Amino acid sequence: MRLIRPGDVAVFTLAALTCGLVVWACWTQSPARTLSIRQGGALWREVSLLHNARYHVAGPLGDTVVRVEDGRARIESDPSPRQYCVGQGWLEHAGQSAICLPNATSITLEGARAYDSLSF
Amino acid sequence: MRALALAALLLLSACGAREPYRQEAYAFGTRIEVTVDGAAEADARRAVGAVLADLDALHKRLHAWQPGSEIVAINDAFARGEPAPVSADLADLIARSRAIEAASDGLFSPAIGRLVRLWGFHADNYAPVTPGAAELAALVGAKPRLSDVSVQGGRIASSKPEVALDLGGVAKGWALERAYARLKAAGVRSALVNIGGNVIALGQKADGSPWTVGIRHPRRNEAMASVELADGEAIGTSGDYQRYFEAGGTRHCHLVDPRDGNTGCALQAATVLASGAGAGLKSDAVSKPLYFAGPKQAAAYARRMGVRDILLVDGAGEAWLSPSFARRIHWLVKPAVVHTLEQP
Amino acid sequence: MTASASERLTLVARPLDRQVASLSALAIVLALVDAALPTPLPGVKPGLANIVTLLALYRLGFAAAVWVSLLRVLGAALLMGSMLTPGFFLSLAGALSSLMLLAPASRLSRRLFGPVSLSLIAAYGHIGGQLLLARLWLIPSDGILYFVPAFALAALITGTVNGLLAARLLRRWPSSKH
Repeated sequence: MRLIRPGDVAVFTLAALTCGLVVWACWTQSPARTLSIRQGGALWREVSLLHNARYHVAGPLGDTVVRVEDGRARIESDPSPRQYCVGQGWLEHAGQSAICLPNATSITLEGARAYDSLSF
Repeated sequence: MRALALAALLLLSACGAREPYRQEAYAFGTRIEVTVDGAAEADARRAVGAVLADLDALHKRLHAWQPGSEIVAINDAFARGEPAPVSADLADLIARSRAIEAASDGLFSPAIGRLVRLWGFHADNYAPVTPGAAELAALVGAKPRLSDVSVQGGRIASSKPEVALDLGGVAKGWALERAYARLKAAGVRSALVNIGGNVIALGQKADGSPWTVGIRHPRRNEAMASVELADGEAIGTSGDYQRYFEAGGTRHCHLVDPRDGNTGCALQAATVLASGAGAGLKSDAVSKPLYFAGPKQAAAYARRMGVRDILLVDGAGEAWLSPSFARRIHWLVKPAVVHTLEQP
Repeated sequence: MTASASERLTLVARPLDRQVASLSALAIVLALVDAALPTPLPGVKPGLANIVTLLALYRLGFAAAVWVSLLRVLGAALLMGSMLTPGFFLSLAGALSSLMLLAPASRLSRRLFGPVSLSLIAAYGHIGGQLLLARLWLIPSDGILYFVPAFALAALITGTVNGLLAARLLRRWPSSKH
């Protein structure tokens, strides 16, 4: 009895292809896994995107509320008058960030990104 | 065995080179991010701390409406028709801004502080305001410009009381240059400074690769392209998404056109990459006149102001690039239509 | 309905039952070895017990493979004290989905498809069932997607190696009549 038969090679190839596809789909498409939350420039906490949660970050004007849900993150509320960071909505990809001014709270999705800093 | 191989694989994907030192701070009314590579953390921390302290002091001096700032004192004196003392570095900044104002045919002027205030942008909170037509017309008609301002022997004077300095369009770029000089003097060989979206590069990363900067997509929460910066190069963007309010269904941008006092947001964004001496200031200031010049005239104005690499995103979301910029940009979210600006 | 006390209950173990029992015992031991090995990620295991399921399938038939597989899940859970814990249900889900794929796969031409094929199919069935249950019940978030490639890679390697081991063992254990 031969150890490896012709069909085995085909099944192995198929399995290896599935593996490659899964690596591509899950690891290169949305690599953000953690969210760093900063207050006043200092790292307040680095949290996982895998756990749905709400974080209350105390700033000079009051609490900024950060929400993590289904691997995404957003500023849910912020006492800063212009509300741009709230208006930005959900962040999903590594490198995306929202900055709340003047409450000095920022969130950034960490992970491999195509640049070192963002001009905006 | 298998578990071991898998562990090695996972570790391999997780570990990389040593992370550069990154410090974020809030000063200058915005967020500042300084990244230092290839230096001991203690040295990096000290150098960045000195930069941030300098920026903080600078912000207090240049503030457009907070009492106690050098600018507010000068503007008060102008309103009374009197001269005021001016520091040497500020006088130098005003002289350089005046050169850009002249080259832009007045598409850019840091002397229109009163117009900016009239639109309600001199406040932490932008309430929707519509200025009185008569008041607006009077201010536009008075044509307050830096060319009305003269500096002599440490004193500054204006020939028009309507002139009010607002250095919001040049301060961040100027600050980039100061941060660059300070870091370099402190022995830092590799750094990237981001002041409210304006970025300057110092050297290359420790591994020899160039610093890479993303350019924000004007309508999306992410970068639309990235570009590599050589030592001393700076990049800045003026966009309709930065500071604005909406009144009666129209968006009013904090970019006020000195020619007619309008705040209609013509373009979505104008990006400038400047190199050589004075790159920091140029990357900030030149994006403003280009924003008003639009795709038809931008290339000609950019050349007059000594800038080659520009990118405009018009109201329809179409991109306009100078040929030199088209060669070095890497698209991440490419617009549906990309034009090349003709060489003037 | 009523049984008199004098009646005696007798259990008769047929030869097939004995073989299933001894294979299950072997599978349980291998499952314990699996659990004791250090792993880089919870849930990633060599899956040595699956070799025994394959032996049962080849020599005793699909029904015996089902018995061996399920007895192994129950027996290992009892010995490790993990009965009715999330780990137990993950194990059960893996075994069930793996068997569901093996049912049709065992009818494939034996000439073309050997133990390596069946082992790979079983391994992917295993992680498929476990991940599905984990996503639906334990970690109801797409964050789990991040770990899928690691599991798929592990299944590829362990599936192939276990298949080769099973093929070698089958060569030494010629098919007997029972």
